[in-house]
Amino acid sequence: LSMAGRGRGRGRGQMTFNVEAVGIGKGDALPPPTLQPSPLFPALERRAAPLPGGEEGEYMLALKQELRRAMRGLPYFVKPGAPRRDIERYSDKYQLSNPVDSAIDWNPGGGTQEGTWVEHGDVGLTGRLTNLPLCPPDWRRLPRELKIRVRRLRKGRTAPLVPKQHVALDKEETIKKLESLEKKEEEVTSEEEEEKEEEEEGKEEEEEEYDEEEHEEETDYVLSYFDNGESFGPDSDDNGDEAVY
Amino acid sequence: MTQAELRLCSLLLQEHFGEIVEKVGNSLLRTGPRPLRLLVGDTGLLPDQVKKALCVLIQHNLVRYEVQPRGSVEYEARSERILRILRYPRYIYTAKTLYGDPGELLVEELLLHGHLPMSCAVARVADRLTETMEDGKTMDYTEVSSTFVRLADTHFIQRCPIVPESPRSAKALPHSAPALAIDEKDMYIVPRLSLVGKGKRRHSCDEEEEEGEHKTKRQKQDGGSSETPPDDGIYWQVNLERFHQHFRDQALVSAVASRMDQVCGSHLRSHSGTELFPFRFLVFPIQTSSEVVRTMLRMSEVTTASGASHTQPLSSNEIFRSLPSGYNIGKQVLDQYLALLADDPLEFVGKSGDSGGGTYTVKVTWGPGVSRVSPSSFPHPSLIPPLLHRFGSRCARIFRLLLRKKHLEQKQVEDFAMIPAKEAKDMLYRMLSENLVSLQEIPKTPDHAPSRTFYLYTVNVMAAARMLLHRCYKSVANLMERRQHEMRENKRLLEKSQRVEAILASMQATGAEAAQLHEVEEMITGPERQQLETLKHNVNKIDASENQVDETIFVLESFIESTTKRP
Repeated sequence: LSMAGRGRGRGRGQMTFNVEAVGIGKGDALPPPTLQPSPLFPALERRAAPLPGGEEGEYMLALKQELRRAMRGLPYFVKPGAPRRDIERYSDKYQLSNPVDSAIDWNPGGGTQEGTWVEHGDVGLTGRLTNLPLCPPDWRRLPRELKIRVRRLRKGRTAPLVPKQHVALDKEETIKKLESLEKKEEEVTSEEEEEKEEEEEGKEEEEEEYDEEEHEEETDYVLSYFDNGESFGPDSDDNGDEAVY
Repeated sequence: MTQAELRLCSLLLQEHFGEIVEKVGNSLLRTGPRPLRLLVGDTGLLPDQVKKALCVLIQHNLVRYEVQPRGSVEYEARSERILRILRYPRYIYTAKTLYGDPGELLVEELLLHGHLPMSCAVARVADRLTETMEDGKTMDYTEVSSTFVRLADTHFIQRCPIVPESPRSAKALPHSAPALAIDEKDMYIVPRLSLVGKGKRRHSCDEEEEEGEHKTKRQKQDGGSSETPPDDGIYWQVNLERFHQHFRDQALVSAVASRMDQVCGSHLRSHSGTELFPFRFLVFPIQTSSEVVRTMLRMSEVTTASGASHTQPLSSNEIFRSLPSGYNIGKQVLDQYLALLADDPLEFVGKSGDSGGGTYTVKVTWGPGVSRVSPSSFPHPSLIPPLLHRFGSRCARIFRLLLRKKHLEQKQVEDFAMIPAKEAKDMLYRMLSENLVSLQEIPKTPDHAPSRTFYLYTVNVMAAARMLLHRCYKSVANLMERRQHEMRENKRLLEKSQRVEAILASMQATGAEAAQLHEVEEMITGPERQQLETLKHNVNKIDASENQVDETIFVLESFIESTTKRP
């Protein structure tokens, strides 16, 4: 019994449709069967057409790179909070502030070190920094569940200010033990709600003045000079503030 | 959502908002709308991080929320809006061409922040403009305000939906999420504000803190910014659809120009890089037909509903009155041009009546108009160029042929295209394997015997368009990844160069000598400079390519959208 269509070597290469109609003539060599996935970078037969140059193209290119740089500096670029260190160190008190997870820092100054260099900085352009006062999120427009509570480490220092808009920045390491009053680092404020729902809903708590960076430390020393010695070593190139000899 | 779109959205979010926002966005895009706690579980992030990310995404209109019947709030990502991030430079540049620097900065601020109140936007732009002005000069708020009003009048920016006024009774619990809404008619009404002031100049970085200090004090004294601004609660956002309409109009005008402005046609084509600048700039009198169409479109800017297939009818008298001043063609000539445009098989302009000297409309969809397509005309402007470059000009010729003739047999293709059989076959199969053309079987006999069946090659326009669009998304994603890779590879060198620049800047500020400066500059060796140059060149090229692909994406998306909308 010869089953139809099973012939190997007889009628090899037959197909269900009339190959001539599609244009494969008799005796034409068919391309070899594909035994492996197509190459990752197939050879280019033709070079791509040159990009349109011109003033518009240049300007849009500059705009694009500018936007990228600007957005990295804005507080909308959410960075993860600083990882907890294994041991509390004395130097932590003097470190430049690290972002806190639970802070919505859409506020003046950003604390994201806009005046300095950002990671993966784009090459070549001078930034048009948007270091100007921002409007904080309007909580009236957002679902209530998104409001974030920030633990305040400083007990009621200033009288509450009237408007929601004038919120200042407060950032701090969330190390609860260092809750002493004399410590004043940069401040983040976000609005806070009481824990219990039954009490005031949406009532604001105290808001704090935004002190500029100069006031954050009550020391006479410039913060960036503090070197806790951790980065000593051949493979540390963090100290960008010191001149390299 | 295709994988390519997902990947591109992911990259865009990561590049502009960071990894946390990317993770949240990703989860929403891949799994669909969900409530907060599911998001937290899914992403593995801290709840506060997720909340923050959601706030950012909502602020930028990339995610919307909806209160479910049972009271929980569900969040949904808007993928098509995320893809628009790619187009931000184009929006900003267009605003610059139309409304100058204030317009450019206003649109930029609104895009960077998602939405802003008018007072805030005007203040920020005035400050930025002041920075760029000469010492002692400041930008007045009124100029920026008036630009803002013009943007609103022409619908380039619009008001965001507002929180409804809800009566606050003691018992009423506030909703878990506000239901924002706005009437169409209120969208472009600018609140009456008397914004008085001038931009504040920000001194150099070293003095920034002092300046900021003074500013805070000044603000406290003014009491101005510590009160609720007069336009509290009214936020503005960019109206992307309006910009798209503008791009479409531009494409339309240039299509008319390249087709009908015969004398200048080749002249225009050779200036392929430059956009046709809008209306108030000098126009050569020879480009009459495109000028006519441009005028008609300008008159219909705000009266054409988005998604309409034609503009409102315009009488030729009105058109005559609206032509740019200094454009002196007679009324008769205008009528002749209108007749010509209406008669053209591509149907750019249609005649809709006879009142007022004849009324005309402009067809504004990306309709196929397939029947009499000529190579350079606009319904398929961008299906052809990708082919041209990838497969060669002969493939493009076959493709155009199939577009025109709809169905052709193998033999006919060879004959009409005047390409030898072997090559034609090869090209057809390649295009077939890429799904740009497809085979249509037409049986002659009921038993569908292969030897007695016609096999016709045809182009399925929608499928081809979608396939090309998918490839575009993939291309941009690949470009972005490559760019990021290049930056990562050279990270060390980049950081070094930035440090050197910082040192140089500080030394210059403290008045160092040229020799010392030179010494510092030398810290970057020659080969390193070369490497940096190459890096910069590559990154620029990749960025420019991304912009270029986005133009194609725009055309394809518009085409697909308008074609699927038609009944």
